[in-house]
Amino acid sequence: MIQHSLPASLAALSDIRRLVMQACQTAGLSEDAAYRLALAVDEIATNIITHGYEEQGLTGDIVVSLDQTDKDLTVLLEDTGVAFDPRAQSLPTAEDLDKPLDDREIGGLGIFLALAGVDRFDYQRSDNVNRNLFAMNLA
Amino acid sequence: MAFSANLEMTGSEARITLEGELDAAVADQFRQTVERAAQEKPQKLVLFMDKLQFMASAGLRVLVFAKQRMGRDVAIYVIGATGPVLNTMQMSGFHQAVYLQESYP
Repeated sequence: MIQHSLPASLAALSDIRRLVMQACQTAGLSEDAAYRLALAVDEIATNIITHGYEEQGLTGDIVVSLDQTDKDLTVLLEDTGVAFDPRAQSLPTAEDLDKPLDDREIGGLGIFLALAGVDRFDYQRSDNVNRNLFAMNLA
Repeated sequence: MAFSANLEMTGSEARITLEGELDAAVADQFRQTVERAAQEKPQKLVLFMDKLQFMASAGLRVLVFAKQRMGRDVAIYVIGATGPVLNTMQMSGFHQAVYLQESYP
Protein backbone atom coordinates (compact mmCIF):
# COMPACT_ATOMS: atom_id res chain seq x y z
CA MET A 1 0.00 0.00 0.00
CA ILE A 2 1.19 3.48 -0.87
CA GLN A 3 0.13 6.34 1.38
CA HIS A 4 0.30 10.11 0.85
CA SER A 5 -0.81 12.91 3.16
CA LEU A 6 -1.89 16.16 1.52
CA PRO A 7 -3.20 19.42 2.97
CA ALA A 8 -6.99 19.63 2.64
CA SER A 9 -7.15 22.51 0.17
CA LEU A 10 -8.68 22.66 -3.30
CA ALA A 11 -5.20 23.21 -4.70
CA ALA A 12 -4.40 19.60 -3.70
CA LEU A 13 -7.11 18.17 -6.00
CA SER A 14 -4.84 17.97 -9.03
CA ASP A 15 -2.15 16.20 -6.96
CA ILE A 16 -4.72 13.69 -5.71
CA ARG A 17 -5.89 13.00 -9.28
CA ARG A 18 -2.28 12.55 -10.37
CA LEU A 19 -1.69 9.95 -7.65
CA VAL A 20 -4.84 8.06 -8.62
CA MET A 21 -4.02 8.13 -12.33
CA GLN A 22 -0.49 6.83 -11.68
CA ALA A 23 -1.90 3.94 -9.64
CA CYS A 24 -4.42 3.18 -12.42
CA GLN A 25 -1.65 3.10 -14.99
CA THR A 26 0.43 0.74 -12.85
CA ALA A 27 -2.62 -1.50 -12.35
CA GLY A 28 -3.37 -1.56 -16.08
CA LEU A 29 -6.85 -0.09 -15.71
CA SER A 30 -8.49 1.10 -18.94
CA GLU A 31 -8.45 4.83 -19.64
CA ASP A 32 -12.21 5.02 -19.16
CA ALA A 33 -12.16 3.22 -15.80
CA ALA A 34 -9.16 5.27 -14.66
CA TYR A 35 -10.95 8.51 -15.47
CA ARG A 36 -14.12 7.40 -13.65
CA LEU A 37 -12.09 6.52 -10.56
CA ALA A 38 -10.15 9.80 -10.68
CA LEU A 39 -13.41 11.73 -11.08
CA ALA A 40 -15.05 9.88 -8.17
CA VAL A 41 -12.10 10.54 -5.87
CA ASP A 42 -11.96 14.18 -7.01
CA GLU A 43 -15.66 14.73 -6.27
CA ILE A 44 -15.52 13.23 -2.77
CA ALA A 45 -12.23 14.99 -1.98
CA THR A 46 -13.87 18.27 -3.05
CA ASN A 47 -16.71 17.61 -0.60
CA ILE A 48 -14.29 16.77 2.20
CA ILE A 49 -12.28 19.95 1.62
CA THR A 50 -15.22 22.35 1.21
CA HIS A 51 -17.89 20.90 3.53
CA GLY A 52 -15.79 18.81 5.90
CA TYR A 53 -13.05 21.34 6.59
CA GLU A 54 -13.38 24.84 5.09
CA GLU A 55 -17.05 25.58 5.86
CA GLN A 56 -16.45 24.43 9.44
CA GLY A 57 -13.42 26.68 9.84
CA LEU A 58 -11.25 23.58 10.19
CA THR A 59 -7.90 22.73 8.68
CA GLY A 60 -6.33 19.33 8.28
CA ASP A 61 -5.10 16.74 5.87
CA ILE A 62 -6.45 14.15 3.50
CA VAL A 63 -4.59 10.87 3.58
CA VAL A 64 -4.71 9.02 0.25
CA SER A 65 -3.93 5.28 0.36
CA LEU A 66 -3.61 3.30 -2.86
CA ASP A 67 -3.68 -0.47 -2.84
CA GLN A 68 -3.68 -3.03 -5.61
CA THR A 69 -4.55 -6.72 -5.32
CA ASP A 70 -5.19 -9.38 -7.96
CA LYS A 71 -8.85 -8.45 -7.88
CA ASP A 72 -9.05 -4.70 -7.57
CA LEU A 73 -7.47 -1.30 -7.18
CA THR A 74 -8.65 0.63 -4.13
CA VAL A 75 -8.29 4.24 -3.12
CA LEU A 76 -8.95 5.19 0.49
CA LEU A 77 -9.44 8.82 1.53
CA GLU A 78 -9.17 9.54 5.25
CA ASP A 79 -9.94 12.90 6.84
CA THR A 80 -10.75 14.37 10.23
CA GLY A 81 -13.38 16.85 9.04
CA VAL A 82 -17.03 16.64 10.11
CA ALA A 83 -18.80 13.32 9.61
CA PHE A 84 -20.19 13.06 6.10
CA ASP A 85 -21.58 9.90 4.53
CA PRO A 86 -21.94 10.47 0.77
CA ARG A 87 -24.36 7.53 0.56
CA ALA A 88 -26.78 9.30 2.87
CA GLN A 89 -27.15 12.36 0.64
CA SER A 90 -30.12 12.84 -1.65
CA LEU A 91 -29.03 12.33 -5.22
CA PRO A 92 -30.57 13.69 -8.41
CA THR A 93 -33.26 11.40 -9.81
CA ALA A 94 -33.60 10.41 -13.47
CA GLU A 95 -36.27 13.11 -13.70
CA ASP A 96 -33.88 15.73 -12.29
CA LEU A 97 -31.21 14.74 -14.82
CA ASP A 98 -33.70 15.25 -17.66
CA LYS A 99 -34.49 18.82 -16.64
CA PRO A 100 -33.38 21.75 -18.78
CA LEU A 101 -30.46 23.65 -17.29
CA ASP A 102 -32.54 26.66 -16.28
CA ASP A 103 -34.65 24.43 -14.01
CA ARG A 104 -31.75 22.50 -12.49
CA GLU A 105 -30.92 22.28 -8.84
CA ILE A 106 -27.18 22.51 -8.35
CA GLY A 107 -26.57 20.02 -5.51
CA GLY A 108 -25.85 16.33 -5.46
CA LEU A 109 -24.35 16.00 -8.89
CA GLY A 110 -20.79 15.39 -7.73
CA ILE A 111 -21.73 12.58 -5.38
CA PHE A 112 -23.98 11.10 -8.06
CA LEU A 113 -21.04 11.01 -10.51
CA ALA A 114 -18.74 9.57 -7.84
CA LEU A 115 -21.02 6.74 -6.76
CA ALA A 116 -22.10 5.90 -10.31
CA GLY A 117 -18.57 5.78 -11.66
CA VAL A 118 -16.86 3.19 -9.45
CA ASP A 119 -17.38 -0.55 -9.03
CA ARG A 120 -17.63 -0.27 -5.24
CA PHE A 121 -17.88 2.54 -2.73
CA ASP A 122 -17.89 2.34 1.04
CA TYR A 123 -17.90 4.86 3.86
CA GLN A 124 -17.09 4.40 7.54
CA ARG A 125 -16.49 6.75 10.41
CA SER A 126 -14.59 5.73 13.49
CA ASP A 127 -12.33 7.50 15.98
CA ASN A 128 -13.38 10.84 14.42
CA VAL A 129 -11.98 9.82 11.05
CA ASN A 130 -14.01 9.64 7.83
CA ARG A 131 -12.98 6.80 5.53
CA ASN A 132 -14.18 6.87 1.92
CA LEU A 133 -13.20 3.76 -0.02
CA PHE A 134 -13.35 3.46 -3.82
CA ALA A 135 -12.66 0.22 -5.69
CA MET A 136 -12.32 -0.67 -9.35
CA ASN A 137 -12.27 -4.30 -10.48
CA LEU A 138 -9.23 -5.51 -12.37
CA ALA A 139 -9.59 -7.89 -15.31
CA MET B 1 -2.25 20.67 -17.16
CA ALA B 2 -3.15 24.17 -15.98
CA PHE B 3 -6.69 25.33 -16.68
CA SER B 4 -7.55 28.28 -18.88
CA ALA B 5 -10.81 29.82 -20.11
CA ASN B 6 -10.48 32.39 -22.87
CA LEU B 7 -13.38 34.55 -24.01
CA GLU B 8 -13.76 35.97 -27.47
CA MET B 9 -16.83 37.94 -28.61
CA THR B 10 -17.71 37.41 -32.27
CA GLY B 11 -20.75 39.47 -33.22
CA SER B 12 -23.55 38.28 -30.96
CA GLU B 13 -21.69 35.09 -30.00
CA ALA B 14 -19.63 34.57 -26.89
CA ARG B 15 -16.96 31.98 -27.56
CA ILE B 16 -15.07 30.46 -24.65
CA THR B 17 -12.18 28.08 -25.21
CA LEU B 18 -11.52 25.74 -22.28
CA GLU B 19 -8.19 23.97 -21.84
CA GLY B 20 -6.69 21.69 -19.20
CA GLU B 21 -8.38 20.30 -16.11
CA LEU B 22 -11.57 21.90 -14.80
CA ASP B 23 -12.03 21.03 -11.13
CA ALA B 24 -13.43 22.83 -8.08
CA ALA B 25 -10.14 24.69 -7.57
CA VAL B 26 -10.45 26.54 -10.89
CA ALA B 27 -14.20 26.50 -11.57
CA ASP B 28 -14.53 30.09 -10.36
CA GLN B 29 -12.17 31.16 -13.14
CA PHE B 30 -14.62 29.63 -15.66
CA ARG B 31 -17.56 31.21 -13.81
CA GLN B 32 -15.99 34.66 -13.99
CA THR B 33 -15.37 34.20 -17.72
CA VAL B 34 -19.04 33.27 -18.18
CA GLU B 35 -20.02 36.32 -16.13
CA ARG B 36 -17.92 38.59 -18.40
CA ALA B 37 -19.56 36.95 -21.42
CA ALA B 38 -23.04 37.46 -19.93
CA GLN B 39 -22.39 41.19 -19.55
CA GLU B 40 -22.01 41.38 -23.34
CA LYS B 41 -25.57 39.99 -23.68
CA PRO B 42 -24.76 37.38 -26.32
CA GLN B 43 -27.43 35.47 -28.25
CA LYS B 44 -25.34 32.31 -28.22
CA LEU B 45 -22.68 30.84 -25.93
CA VAL B 46 -20.20 28.56 -27.67
CA LEU B 47 -17.87 26.48 -25.49
CA PHE B 48 -14.89 24.85 -27.18
CA MET B 49 -13.97 21.77 -25.14
CA ASP B 50 -11.69 19.78 -27.44
CA LYS B 51 -8.66 20.63 -25.26
CA LEU B 52 -10.47 20.04 -21.97
CA GLN B 53 -8.93 16.96 -20.37
CA PHE B 54 -10.97 16.72 -17.18
CA MET B 55 -14.26 18.16 -15.96
CA ALA B 56 -15.68 17.69 -12.47
CA SER B 57 -19.23 18.55 -11.42
CA ALA B 58 -17.96 22.02 -10.50
CA GLY B 59 -17.62 22.62 -14.24
CA LEU B 60 -21.14 21.34 -14.90
CA ARG B 61 -22.46 23.71 -12.26
CA VAL B 62 -20.94 26.62 -14.20
CA LEU B 63 -22.94 25.48 -17.24
CA VAL B 64 -26.09 25.64 -15.10
CA PHE B 65 -25.01 29.08 -13.91
CA ALA B 66 -24.45 30.17 -17.53
CA LYS B 67 -27.93 29.12 -18.57
CA GLN B 68 -29.60 30.69 -15.56
CA ARG B 69 -27.54 33.89 -15.84
CA MET B 70 -27.93 34.37 -19.61
CA GLY B 71 -31.53 33.27 -19.87
CA ARG B 72 -33.63 30.65 -21.58
CA ASP B 73 -33.23 32.18 -25.05
CA VAL B 74 -29.45 31.96 -25.13
CA ALA B 75 -28.47 28.62 -26.65
CA ILE B 76 -25.36 26.88 -25.33
CA TYR B 77 -23.20 25.00 -27.80
CA VAL B 78 -20.53 22.54 -26.65
CA ILE B 79 -17.97 21.87 -29.35
CA GLY B 80 -15.48 19.02 -29.53
CA ALA B 81 -16.16 17.35 -26.16
CA THR B 82 -14.87 13.82 -26.41
CA GLY B 83 -14.22 10.72 -24.35
CA PRO B 84 -14.68 10.98 -20.61
CA VAL B 85 -15.69 14.66 -20.62
CA LEU B 86 -18.52 13.83 -23.02
CA ASN B 87 -19.38 10.77 -20.95
CA THR B 88 -19.67 12.90 -17.80
CA MET B 89 -22.08 15.22 -19.62
CA GLN B 90 -24.12 12.24 -20.79
CA MET B 91 -24.25 10.62 -17.33
CA SER B 92 -25.59 13.83 -15.85
CA GLY B 93 -28.08 14.52 -18.64
CA PHE B 94 -26.34 17.68 -19.83
CA HIS B 95 -26.06 16.37 -23.40
CA GLN B 96 -29.82 16.94 -23.72
CA ALA B 97 -29.62 20.48 -22.42
CA VAL B 98 -26.97 21.87 -24.76
CA TYR B 99 -26.19 21.57 -28.47
CA LEU B 100 -23.33 19.09 -28.81
CA GLN B 101 -21.27 19.38 -31.98
CA GLU B 102 -17.97 17.92 -33.12
CA SER B 103 -16.90 21.12 -34.83
CA TYR B 104 -18.09 24.68 -35.29
CA PRO B 105 -17.92 26.85 -38.36
